[in-house]
Amino acid sequence: MKSDQLLTNTAINVDDILVKRNRDKVSQSIFFMVMMALVLWSVNVTIIKDTDWERMGSLGEVLASAGRFFGIDFSLIPNLFEPAIETFMISCLGTLLGVIICVPAIWFGALNITPFKPITYPIGRFMMTMSRSIHEIVWALFFVAVLGLGALPGIFAIAVRSVGFIAKMSAEAIEDIELGPLDAIRATGANRFQVLLFAILPQVLPQVIGVILFEWEINIRRSAILGLVGAGGLGLVFFRQMNTYNYHGVTTVILAILGIIIIGEIVSHFTRKRMI
Amino acid sequence: MSVLEVNELRVRYKAGSPEILKGINFEVEENDFFAIIGPSGAGKSTLIRCINRLVEPNSGKIYFKGNEITGMSNRQLRIVRRDIGMIFQEFNLIDRMSVMDNVLSGRLGYTGNLRSFFKIFPRKEIEKALNLLDRVGLRDQVDKRADELSGGQRQRVGIARALIQGPKLLLLDEPTSSLDPKISREIMSLIKEMAKELNVPCLCNIHDVQLAMEFCNKIIGIKDGVKMFDGSTESLNKQKLDEIYLMEVL
Amino acid sequence: MMDSINKRTSPIKTTSQTKWKRFKYPDSYISYCLWISALVFIAFSIEYLNIPLSRLLGMMGRMGDILANRYYPPDIEYIMDIDYAKSILETIQMAYLGALFGLVATVPLGWFSSFNMTPSRRYVYPVARLITMSCRAVHEMIWAILFVSILGFGMFSGVLALTFFCAGFAGKLLADEIEAIDMNPVEAIRASGANLFQVMIYAVFPQIRVAFTGIAIYTWDVAFRAATVVGFFGAGGMGWYLKRNVLQIETERVTSILLSILVLVLISEILSALARDRVMRMK
Repeated sequence: MKSDQLLTNTAINVDDILVKRNRDKVSQSIFFMVMMALVLWSVNVTIIKDTDWERMGSLGEVLASAGRFFGIDFSLIPNLFEPAIETFMISCLGTLLGVIICVPAIWFGALNITPFKPITYPIGRFMMTMSRSIHEIVWALFFVAVLGLGALPGIFAIAVRSVGFIAKMSAEAIEDIELGPLDAIRATGANRFQVLLFAILPQVLPQVIGVILFEWEINIRRSAILGLVGAGGLGLVFFRQMNTYNYHGVTTVILAILGIIIIGEIVSHFTRKRMI
Repeated sequence: MSVLEVNELRVRYKAGSPEILKGINFEVEENDFFAIIGPSGAGKSTLIRCINRLVEPNSGKIYFKGNEITGMSNRQLRIVRRDIGMIFQEFNLIDRMSVMDNVLSGRLGYTGNLRSFFKIFPRKEIEKALNLLDRVGLRDQVDKRADELSGGQRQRVGIARALIQGPKLLLLDEPTSSLDPKISREIMSLIKEMAKELNVPCLCNIHDVQLAMEFCNKIIGIKDGVKMFDGSTESLNKQKLDEIYLMEVL
Repeated sequence: MMDSINKRTSPIKTTSQTKWKRFKYPDSYISYCLWISALVFIAFSIEYLNIPLSRLLGMMGRMGDILANRYYPPDIEYIMDIDYAKSILETIQMAYLGALFGLVATVPLGWFSSFNMTPSRRYVYPVARLITMSCRAVHEMIWAILFVSILGFGMFSGVLALTFFCAGFAGKLLADEIEAIDMNPVEAIRASGANLFQVMIYAVFPQIRVAFTGIAIYTWDVAFRAATVVGFFGAGGMGWYLKRNVLQIETERVTSILLSILVLVLISEILSALARDRVMRMK
């Protein structure tokens, strides 16, 4: 019968298939085990050898250490309003300044509008990469060294750090635009600036606004910690609370930071709805 | 005893919105190739998805092989689903997996979590998969990725996947609506043949009345969530069809 | 014939109902108010933070001066030191351990935070979302400081800080990816009697595999950048040298350290870009 014959045919092939499947699985397992060995070696070298296990104590002691943070220092709260507003402002001004600095970066970094491709495009891309590659703390250290303590270096650090992401996303948005409207506006006799305003900008504006809002939210996080290196805002309060071992105070500051982040998310949500 | 018995099935998607199904009753027997016909939006898709509870009915009872499945827990439901195979309009294959793995995934209800993770299936199941793929004519495509196949080929994989479960009932949700007319006929023939060979009754949602009349022995017509006709294919005449579809179809 | 054509077309209305205004009330009024308040806020901030707008330009000049005199030339010998080289290796290891553990934690976190595939929409989903958001909202430096204060100085704190940060960061990205999948294969696998775990492996994972690799590469990028600096707060790696030299105002050494950070991050970027390319092609 037909199915018998089928069975004999498949008997050979089933073995082939099984062998192949098992072989694939074995090679995958070997790869996986090599990776695991690498990871375990790294863990050993970094964590196990480097940690002062005696000073850390037992698990109970560690948990007790962590437990010190649980609690809110209510007396600190009135003192948090000013730094919180400061942090919020630093993030706003920083993002704004960042957007202004972005303009040349975007102009240079977008393939279709860059003025002189072999030179300006790499410059634009380099600006974006530099900005993103250097951690905001490093930027802050740099600006504090040059401009002194206070809110100003914080604003600059935020601005320079934001350029990377905003410029990269905006440049990509501009590279993706439809050329049809461009031709149409050009055909009416408009000059380069008018073409930019009427053909390019309307197409990319929703995306660019979205990106700016996204980065602004992240910047609130960043502004909060820049105070750790002297750039003003809640970071400074955090630093002081840590130094005076006021653990409840530390938790309170963290909650305050979360609070303004939430405010930022709400504002961003509504602005997105209005603008896009 | 009927394989499937549906009693007063009612479904509404959200509280306050109108009912999609307004009290459906029918029975599917052992050797049936049962068709559900009706205009779009009549509730056919919902009805078929209630059978294996992919959609939860609001009231009414469904009996599968004498057991009431409408009240079952999740774990019991999974065991029942093993016995019900389903073939979909859009094939619903796992695009990036091979044809073989797609067919084998029909046996997941019988496979433990750890084996599923490592894609280890017993030899018997691989044999069965190979047999089924041979029967549907795809033996040479065993190692191809599912998204490299044509529509007709994909549905054949779907058929093999449903049948590897060894089901006691086959649900077909417009299995040929995404295929061109010639392939549609081939697929329907294939399903009917294999269902007969393996002795599995079928409940089929179908848009094309011609195909329904050609392949099915019993038909139920649904319009606006209400059953308008229930009987053998022979007894379905033009007048009743007009009632269901409100237009000339034949 | 021209007459009949003219008669058929309706005359152009000039009644006031069809006047077109650019600024529609009250929409425009509200937008106008919002813009004005934003500008007022900006001006107020500048005042409040005592930003010396007039002196800014002068500061730019001074910045160039300071850079040229104090921060140049970079002290390259300092970073050639064997101890520093070791700290570079440690930074890299911290970064990928943190990214790895973070990604391992992300798999369940992202799954539970996805609205379509979470095991329980009422209990598990909100909790998972909350955990992911908290991990993301707390800056990686704060995580570092917290862990240093609990566990002491060293790379353990650094790795944990990076893990928590990455989990939150990648968790949201993964949840978004899972929410964007085609639910059809999910329906099919569910219909054959599989449980949620099997559905995730067979129907969801193949669809998000490529995106997950992208997320992993991105996470590594961010983790590495953070790892270079966590040492500043005592969590291991090259950041510690940065802090020491900043405090001691060894500015030329600071420059060389910053340069080494820049070079490393650029190398990492290039490698990530290559990896992302290969992943794209595998699609």
